[in-house]
Amino acid sequence: MSETIDGQKTTLTMVTGAPVPAPVEPSYATGAAPVAQAGAELVTVTIDGKPMQVPKGTILLEACNQAGAEVPFFCYHPGLSSPAVCRQCLVDVKGQPKPVPSCYTPVADKMEVTTASPRVLDIRRQMLEFTLLNHPIDCPICDKAGECTLQKQYFDWDAKYARNDGIKVHKAKHVDIGKHIVLDQERCILCTRCIRVCDEVAKQPELTMAMRGDHEVLTTAPGRRLDNPYSLNTVDVCPVGALTSKDFRFTMRAWELQSTPSICPGCATGCNIEVHTSREQIQRLVPRENPYVNQHWMCDEGRFTYKRIYQDRLATPLSGGETAEWDRALDDAAKLLRAAVDQGAGKIGVVFSAQSTNEDLYALSRLAFDSLGVTRAYVAGLDQGWSDNILVSADKNPNTAGAIAIGGGRLKSLMDLANDVKSGAITTLLVVGEEGVLGDGGTSALPISKLQALIVLGWRRGPLVTAAHVAMPLSDWAEVDGTFTNRQGTVQRVRAAVPPAGDALPGWEIVTLLAHRLGMPLEFGGRSSAPTARTVFLEAKEKMAFMKNADWGRTSLPIQLRFANSRG
Amino acid sequence: MDTTLTPASPPADPVGPRRVVLGVQEPEDMDLPTDPIPLNMGPSHPAMHGTVRMVLDVEGEKISNVDIQIGYLHRCFEKESEYATYTQIFPYTDRLNYVSPMLNNVGYAMAVEKLLGITDKIPERAQFVRVIVGEMSRMTDHMTCLGAGAMELGAFTVFLYMLKAREWFYEMLEEISGARLTHSYMRIGGLSADLPDGLTDKLLDVIGRTRGVVEECGKLLNRNRIFRDRMDGIGVITKDEAIAWGVTGPVGRSTGLDYDVRKDHPYLVYDRFDFDVPVGSVGDNFDRYMCRVEEIAQSMRIIEQAIAKMPAGPVMVDDPRLRLPSKTETYNSIEAMIAHFKVIMDGIHVPPGEVYSFTEAGNGELGFYIVSDGTGRPWKCRVRPPCFANVAILPKVLPGLFIADIVPTFGMINMIGGECDR
Repeated sequence: MSETIDGQKTTLTMVTGAPVPAPVEPSYATGAAPVAQAGAELVTVTIDGKPMQVPKGTILLEACNQAGAEVPFFCYHPGLSSPAVCRQCLVDVKGQPKPVPSCYTPVADKMEVTTASPRVLDIRRQMLEFTLLNHPIDCPICDKAGECTLQKQYFDWDAKYARNDGIKVHKAKHVDIGKHIVLDQERCILCTRCIRVCDEVAKQPELTMAMRGDHEVLTTAPGRRLDNPYSLNTVDVCPVGALTSKDFRFTMRAWELQSTPSICPGCATGCNIEVHTSREQIQRLVPRENPYVNQHWMCDEGRFTYKRIYQDRLATPLSGGETAEWDRALDDAAKLLRAAVDQGAGKIGVVFSAQSTNEDLYALSRLAFDSLGVTRAYVAGLDQGWSDNILVSADKNPNTAGAIAIGGGRLKSLMDLANDVKSGAITTLLVVGEEGVLGDGGTSALPISKLQALIVLGWRRGPLVTAAHVAMPLSDWAEVDGTFTNRQGTVQRVRAAVPPAGDALPGWEIVTLLAHRLGMPLEFGGRSSAPTARTVFLEAKEKMAFMKNADWGRTSLPIQLRFANSRG
Repeated sequence: MDTTLTPASPPADPVGPRRVVLGVQEPEDMDLPTDPIPLNMGPSHPAMHGTVRMVLDVEGEKISNVDIQIGYLHRCFEKESEYATYTQIFPYTDRLNYVSPMLNNVGYAMAVEKLLGITDKIPERAQFVRVIVGEMSRMTDHMTCLGAGAMELGAFTVFLYMLKAREWFYEMLEEISGARLTHSYMRIGGLSADLPDGLTDKLLDVIGRTRGVVEECGKLLNRNRIFRDRMDGIGVITKDEAIAWGVTGPVGRSTGLDYDVRKDHPYLVYDRFDFDVPVGSVGDNFDRYMCRVEEIAQSMRIIEQAIAKMPAGPVMVDDPRLRLPSKTETYNSIEAMIAHFKVIMDGIHVPPGEVYSFTEAGNGELGFYIVSDGTGRPWKCRVRPPCFANVAILPKVLPGLFIADIVPTFGMINMIGGECDR
């Protein structure tokens, strides 16, 4: 199970916004064993001599963990049903002739549980010995080494030398099982977590167990592949290195990674993620538990959103198509805007982006509406895409809700933008976030040639940036501190995990610098010192109803996974 | 012709009469009026080991005030330790007192073992070997101090003789651990390897030869006027001062302070050996010199007894959570592979808690204060370096002495930068 790095779970999982809508009904009923409902009847259980009260229906394993008694497991996962196949979580219950699997047993009133009796410890050790009997000696070449649950549990609960030097049962070593995944059947410990992810989360039963005994293997039906949109969750839940991601495998040792909690920018769902980096490069994105947003999961598409950060980035300011120093680019941009202001601010159009953070949008709204007095503002973003009723939203922008709310009803569509440019209603255009402004129609959709001045703050090079009179590089989502508002209205923190590409700066900072050049300095929260993402956030929180309950959370540095021990 | 040289019968008192005159006595008419001037000594001064700076106020040749500035060899031992597994810290401890690394190895290993609660489970043979290599290191420590101290007073011959004997021990320590100086020979729970075959015989032979070297050096120094003038009555520390400043080891014992961790808080198997703790009476440089000379002799006694009594058996606790499996096991069973991986990558898991453990190192009480948070790396690893307290008393000792007295006094304190600065 992917455990959130200690200490960050509480401050980050629910950075809530305005009255949080009741948690969206998990659209997928997990087959998980009964979960206690709030307000349920309380029962008293005694765990290792310690009496405690838990809601009726709580899983015994969770109750044991709450009591501080560590009960290990391979097959149990809090987001999945429990088949009780791994036999690691057996505990003694008074009155029961045999140990019971705690992952499968709801608590009952007056239950007396012993989690570490000699019998339980012996069974646990024997089961581990069985599990290791045919396990290949792969740690040095296995991607999971360092975050492997089997390694951790052998060391914690068994730690005995091998008693068997027989020949191990060999199985298929690298099965190309799906688009993103390679299967090593030898490493598989048959916990069936991945099967349940396909069945219960993705709702596409694609994996199964075949054969029996020590020849049992994980496989797909003949001719079928593991190709559902949530397939990489099987890699996360795999307690060993049986399922590995083609994108990540053989690139990096798990203990060398640094983890930064953040939010997936792939769609309006705003799945909570950990950004795993090494040597200032993003190596992978993995989901972080948030029961109100994404539970334990994220889609495969979201995991590859980090690739965009390394594609065609605009790394330096451009003025007239030539690389320029920041000073010159800002001066030129200010000159163009000043000229337009002198003609009357009515001719200026400003494009907000649903890809920007709330802080960028708020700073821009201050400049556009309060300082420049702009009346024509638009919202841009990526086009709608596919969706399902699991996690993926059709809206491919992470902050549409924030852009709409900050725009306060003043933002018009891109269609209006095209018409206004065509009709000559606007002659100067300031774009903050170029993503999707041109849409599918390319430059023809927006008659750029009709504009007297085009200033673009952009992440990536493209036709719009090339056509701009002044272009300035924006830091992308993994390079900035800020907040996104998801489709539920929840305001969630993104954190800088890697340094910005080239000379890129966050949007709010460029907007503030530009305002200064225009002689309309922006101060946030009445502070005269240089603004930070946090001061912009704090003022936005004061002014914007939807951010009223949002919390910036505490400052944190990336945590090196080796100091967090096994993620397991 | 009979050419056999018969050694002259040793004098009844090999040391000769003590000329203890406390402080510097000057004839009244030599006391010329002078203005105090500041004088910088070190760190780039051979007698300052390149690791310490003394800012002196001198009036003529006489020191009126000393400001001792340490830290030139600070290597962040304590902070680095928080990022290293418990086993990875051994190489760092080699570089604490770098003329007696084995003693640091032992002291650190025993601190972690105390926190693990396995002090009683360390195999007996490992404890005997720890005593033997530890005492070897104590001898190299003292021989370095005595040889260098004599050289700084011009006795270059003594330096060469002492270092010749020291080299015999370094060669043997190299044979044991693979490295002449940076041994990293201990492990949590025992030793990285047993002693090589035939080493004990060689060691006994070397001890015999070393006795001759020490005796020879004694003859060169003990009644030597130049040497004694800078030793007798110079740099006196009283017993009360030693206690107040926390001075331990040979420096502490020279004042009459009868404190040796090996006797007063016996650890390993020291309580099974017959050895004496030399104690001085005056607390001057000469007492410090004589304490070290005698401790070399006592260390040789301990080693001889340890070799005679050493049992056979394993040298490492048989616990897969502590012991690094052999390569054969590692490459042929998944259990050993995982254990190897975990011990190397995650480190030995030490239960949460804190411990202070102390041993008698070359310069005195070497303490390790370790706090564990239950992971494979210490949450805090503090060292109580004996040198630190020993150097701290110098500003009390030096004023009133001549500039020329600094060198032998500092030499007999035996400040080791690696240990003092950490």
